Amino acid sequence: MTLSNQYTESMDDNAISKPESRHPVLENWDGTVGQALVEEPRMSARSVDVFYGDTQAIDNVSLDIGKNEVLAMIGPSGCGKSTFLRTLNRMNDSIDICRVEGDILLDGEDIYKKHMDVVALRAKVGMVFQKPNPFPKSIYDNVAYGPRIHGLVSRRTELDEVVETALRKAGLWDEIKDRLDKPATGLSGGQQQRLCIARTIAISPEVILMDEPCSALDPIATARIEELIAELSQNYTIAIVTHSMQQAARVSQRTAYFHLGKLIEVGETDHIFTSPSHKLTEDYITGRFG
Amino acid sequence: MTEQKLDAIERLASVKQDRLNAKLKSRYARERRFQAYGIASIAAGLGFLVILLTTIFSQGLSAFWTTYVELEVTYDPQVLYIDDATDADQLRLADYGGVVREALLSRFPDVSGRQATRELTSLVSNSAEYRVRERLIANPELLGQSERLWVLADDDLDLLRKGIIDRELPESERRISDQELSWIDSWNEAGELKRRFNTVFFTNGDSRDPETAGIWGAVVGSFYTLVVTLLLSFPIGVAAAIYLEEFAPKNRLTDIIEVNINNLAAVPSIVFGLLGLAVFINFFGLPRSAPVVGGLVLTLMTLPTIIISARSAIRAVPPSIREAATGLGASKMQVTLHHVLPLAMPGMLTGTIIGMAQALGETAPLLMIGMVAFIVDIPGGFTDPSTVLPVQVYLWSDSPERAFIAKTSGAIMVLLGFLAVMNLLAVFLRKKFERRW
Repeated sequence: MTLSNQYTESMDDNAISKPESRHPVLENWDGTVGQALVEEPRMSARSVDVFYGDTQAIDNVSLDIGKNEVLAMIGPSGCGKSTFLRTLNRMNDSIDICRVEGDILLDGEDIYKKHMDVVALRAKVGMVFQKPNPFPKSIYDNVAYGPRIHGLVSRRTELDEVVETALRKAGLWDEIKDRLDKPATGLSGGQQQRLCIARTIAISPEVILMDEPCSALDPIATARIEELIAELSQNYTIAIVTHSMQQAARVSQRTAYFHLGKLIEVGETDHIFTSPSHKLTEDYITGRFG
Repeated sequence: MTEQKLDAIERLASVKQDRLNAKLKSRYARERRFQAYGIASIAAGLGFLVILLTTIFSQGLSAFWTTYVELEVTYDPQVLYIDDATDADQLRLADYGGVVREALLSRFPDVSGRQATRELTSLVSNSAEYRVRERLIANPELLGQSERLWVLADDDLDLLRKGIIDRELPESERRISDQELSWIDSWNEAGELKRRFNTVFFTNGDSRDPETAGIWGAVVGSFYTLVVTLLLSFPIGVAAAIYLEEFAPKNRLTDIIEVNINNLAAVPSIVFGLLGLAVFINFFGLPRSAPVVGGLVLTLMTLPTIIISARSAIRAVPPSIREAATGLGASKMQVTLHHVLPLAMPGMLTGTIIGMAQALGETAPLLMIGMVAFIVDIPGGFTDPSTVLPVQVYLWSDSPERAFIAKTSGAIMVLLGFLAVMNLLAVFLRKKFERRW
């Protein structure tokens, strides 16, 4: 199924400024190739444009994230994949010049509608960042922060349970159960990132967004995070931006390829990496640019 | 063309090593000169500091010592005009100056005549009679008895003992006559002169008599003034900084505000004094010479410092921490209060203490609002007339009595002590609360 005709009315290549020379410029693009929509979407984006001031960073992207699936987003630097990820829980709101057009739905509800409670949205759509960013507080307080500010637990024992469960799910409990009151900044990079994941799942989100979660980690820590993603995908919907195609191939069920703000191709991960339909996708995954 | 170029480079290769060596030599020489300039500047700065501190300390240390005279005081009811020791009024109004005079005259029985008596009594401080009075009011049973009592010597006697008045000078050029010298020597030989730590300097308010003048009034005035300044400028400054950094939209208006805050930091402080005089005293009718007005004026003066340092402290909080909290669904206020503020606090406190240290050393605006008055009483509250340490220094430096030179330097030393303590506190707080992320 091709979405191009439905959602791509006016495609203007000139709308994207500063095309970098190492990115082959799109010519005669006629829409996203592959299966952008799914049967049972958790989140769906329809004709999303994102602008930073006069610069268009995302151009007419329509994409679904299915329930309990891992969707990987790949593409060369500056292709807009991170920007797209951050529009999914409105992290771009804090940037004054950023403007989002189109619809983004979470369980059928438009998250950019008027009077949408951003705080409630972020309690449903959690985020893990590129660089591990634990609060300079104790390990316990890091994980307990989300439940505390949302008033999710009423008793201390309940909070203890939540913290323990989150740390267990993040595969961190056995390593740090004896030093919950020690500062989180004393953990190693990989542990910090798993702590950030524990912190995110402690508020029991429906969707977890991950923005290159392993780019600051060594290969062993990366492998642990990837295992964790596989486990988490049983309960959570995960959208992950990554620069590593191997990682995308390992952890995701579907993969979306972005190029210069456009969604070029979406499909089953196996399919994308073995027989991509679009020339650009093929060039990228075979390492011809990017 | 290409061959020519190649030739040039080949030619270069042949002379390269020599030229390189020559150039290296001059480069190292230049580097050494550059370092020498820096060392010279630092040495000049340190030199001036040493000169300043040595003058202050050499003059001021003597202010911490003072001379006492031992007198055989007789609480004679006849001299005192007291007939009933239980009558508080009589005790209060009795002639204690007479007792001191009698004590001096009995020590030197050969003194007679008004002139000589006056010279003799001028050798002990005017405070001596208050000392005698305190003793008798506290112990009325002493009436009719006598005891040996140490009383403060006059400042001239004290200066002579400290060697500031030169006894080798001819009498006409000396503040102490030969007659007085002989009395002092007689006391000295009898062991009736004593050098003691000058507690009076730390416990008294201002006085016209150098030997009884102290800095406590100014210290208390400075304390009240700084309390007002701190209570107003810290919350206002931090709130303004947080709003400007975290909440305010970035537009022309906030740009103008920012430029104006930076400009206010450079406004001469006396302008704030004039403003305080016009607004707080003349318009709002607040009391003159009061710490509350001083505090308000110094608040205006320190606010830009605090706002600027608080803003840079807030800006130094890494955005990743803000993102982490925002991503968890914290509201803007929660992000600010739970994460940004605690992380920025050490920087804010440092800025505030530096602002307070500035306020403590400020003189000019306080002259405008009347804190330059001669005030003997220790201020008891925020609206009592008072003065502050730097203004006390200014007042004493203007006094004609020789002994005030030492007092001035002594007060400067105390002021520098407070400033050093405040700056150390700022360093300590920064080290203690500094966090890594």
